[in-house]
Amino acid sequence: MLALVAWVMVDVAVVGAGQTRYGNHALGLKGMWAEAARSAFSSIDGDFDVKSVDEAYIGSLAFGGAQLGNTAALLTEHSDMEGVPVRRVENACASSGFAFRDAWMAIKSGQADIVVAGGIEKMNDLTPERRRYWLGVSGDTEWERLAGLTFPGTYALMARRYFHEFDASHDDLVHVSVKNHLHGSLNPLAHIQKEVSFEKAASGFMVADPLTLYDCCPTSDGASCVVLAADHVAKRMTDTPVWVRGSGAASDHLALHDRPSITQLKATQTAGRKAYEMANLKPRDIDIAEVHDCFTIAEVLATEDLGFAERGHGGRFAREGQGVINQGSVAVNASGGLKSKGHPLGATGTGQVVEVFKQLRGQVESQRQVKDAEVGLTHNVGGSGATCAVHVFGRDRT
Amino acid sequence: MTEEVWMGYLVDHCTNYTVVQSPFVLGEERVFGADSDATTLSVAAILHRLQHDAIASVAVPDGIDADTVSTACNVHVWDEESEAGPEWDLLLSEEAIIVLARPGADVEISVMDIAVEVDRPFNEAILTAWEMELNTLHVSQGAYVSQAQYVEAASPRLSLSGQIGANGPVWPPRYSAHGPVNGNGVHKLTPNGHVLSWTTLSAAGSPSEFSLRAPLLGGVSTVLLELTDGPNGVFLIVDDEEPELSMDAPMELVVRRIYAQEGFIRYGLKARPMSA
Repeated sequence: MLALVAWVMVDVAVVGAGQTRYGNHALGLKGMWAEAARSAFSSIDGDFDVKSVDEAYIGSLAFGGAQLGNTAALLTEHSDMEGVPVRRVENACASSGFAFRDAWMAIKSGQADIVVAGGIEKMNDLTPERRRYWLGVSGDTEWERLAGLTFPGTYALMARRYFHEFDASHDDLVHVSVKNHLHGSLNPLAHIQKEVSFEKAASGFMVADPLTLYDCCPTSDGASCVVLAADHVAKRMTDTPVWVRGSGAASDHLALHDRPSITQLKATQTAGRKAYEMANLKPRDIDIAEVHDCFTIAEVLATEDLGFAERGHGGRFAREGQGVINQGSVAVNASGGLKSKGHPLGATGTGQVVEVFKQLRGQVESQRQVKDAEVGLTHNVGGSGATCAVHVFGRDRT
Repeated sequence: MTEEVWMGYLVDHCTNYTVVQSPFVLGEERVFGADSDATTLSVAAILHRLQHDAIASVAVPDGIDADTVSTACNVHVWDEESEAGPEWDLLLSEEAIIVLARPGADVEISVMDIAVEVDRPFNEAILTAWEMELNTLHVSQGAYVSQAQYVEAASPRLSLSGQIGANGPVWPPRYSAHGPVNGNGVHKLTPNGHVLSWTTLSAAGSPSEFSLRAPLLGGVSTVLLELTDGPNGVFLIVDDEEPELSMDAPMELVVRRIYAQEGFIRYGLKARPMSA
């Protein structure tokens, strides 16, 4: 009975986290992953031996088809983790958000003490044709794809409908873009490190009406890696662990047309609610949120679905600059988000954890540091909302 | 004889035959639109005739996709080897004109007033693009829908066959771990609805299977419809039209080419404004 009680009470901490710079990366798969792993391992300031890793979970959509089978084993081989049980986790753009959740569950189950979670994607070495192929494989192929939809189109349908249903316009999306470019300009690991004016963002090349180039995240290469540990192990690995206070995940209809509403993501709402409940926290308690802004409309919806803004008020939230670092109640995408930091599909989820980990430890660049950040949240979405993982983190254990 | 616009085509309806013509002309000659061919005109001809007459069987010549015609129209395709003569014949023309006629009917192809002049370079470019798409060496650069997978879903794709669920019609059809969703039989949905949202993807952002034609068409346009019978669906907008869309605008669904891959044309329903 005592053993059972101890098993239930295991808490999980992030003790190390690192990533490559996102962008058009010179390194290939193995080199990028090794760099991210090295960055994560070296961030552990206490006792750590890579041979002590019990399990590993690595998220990736597909590497552009370069290594579809046994992907994860290839990567652990090139990061000094030979022999570690490892698998690839695939949930489209939410792959490493779910890899992180799986890692967390492995420790919570009592079967592992130290677990690596990460993600990786390499897209910029592909021809434009092949790139568009891989960027469009995560919708409902049989019905959405044959209706001409890739994700810019899917999110464009959501945006136009949102403008129709609520007091919102494309200008609100432009505010999201300007904010995230501002944050990204301060992040040396971001894909796009430059600000953009409102006027420029408002008049970008039309990708999928009403979404312009400045509403869309770039196609990025990159890798990210985090190390999780059980409480009794974490203590000797670092004095400043970041605790996983809550984990929630959910799924929804894959195709947009099968959902009752296309102006909210049910999977986000469910995953967020579960994570908040587990953490015993409310949206107002969150100081920093890394949300899945693959397109600017996605951030507007996320701020509503995660409870930072009331339904239909996400546009106003953006318009009023409430997500700007140290300006509103919650800093939204202080890293620059997918829009500016970049979106290497499989790496994005754990890349968000890297940002929150550093923010809560006060380790980001001073201009980007969210003051007195105690609680952070990550929100990782697969496709147009078919899968979602939300995690809540705290400097304090409870 | 009555003439009308039907599913984006010109129809001449007579007692013993139906003539369907493309509205597009190149000089004096009727030519197909960007996503039309003899098969799509044949579907329109049969569906128009079915408003007036039952069709027991129809003879489909080479050059028309008999499976698509049969599935889209729910008509029996005449088997030359095992059956007596067909009740109706589909007749091809050298132009973009199709005739559905009773055998031996005296057919007169009238000159219709509507003629939308097409640009010759555009027409040639579209034909070339389709020719390249149809090449058997043109393999998947897009999310892959195999021929078998396409055929499995051909009936819902071409004729909106759905299911009866607990809360009304269900489309596209679903599977369930609790047994056949389709326990109450196939339900054919009405091929029209109203606009919930729409977008036009730039050519650079279009799915790669459309990459040969999207630059010629100025991108790919998709509409999300709430079908009259309830379910929602996404559909390409008919390629050779540039409608002014608005929320709640009524649209109809018509059979057109979607794309070709590995020598095989995938047909499906596309949306066009009801008033057009």
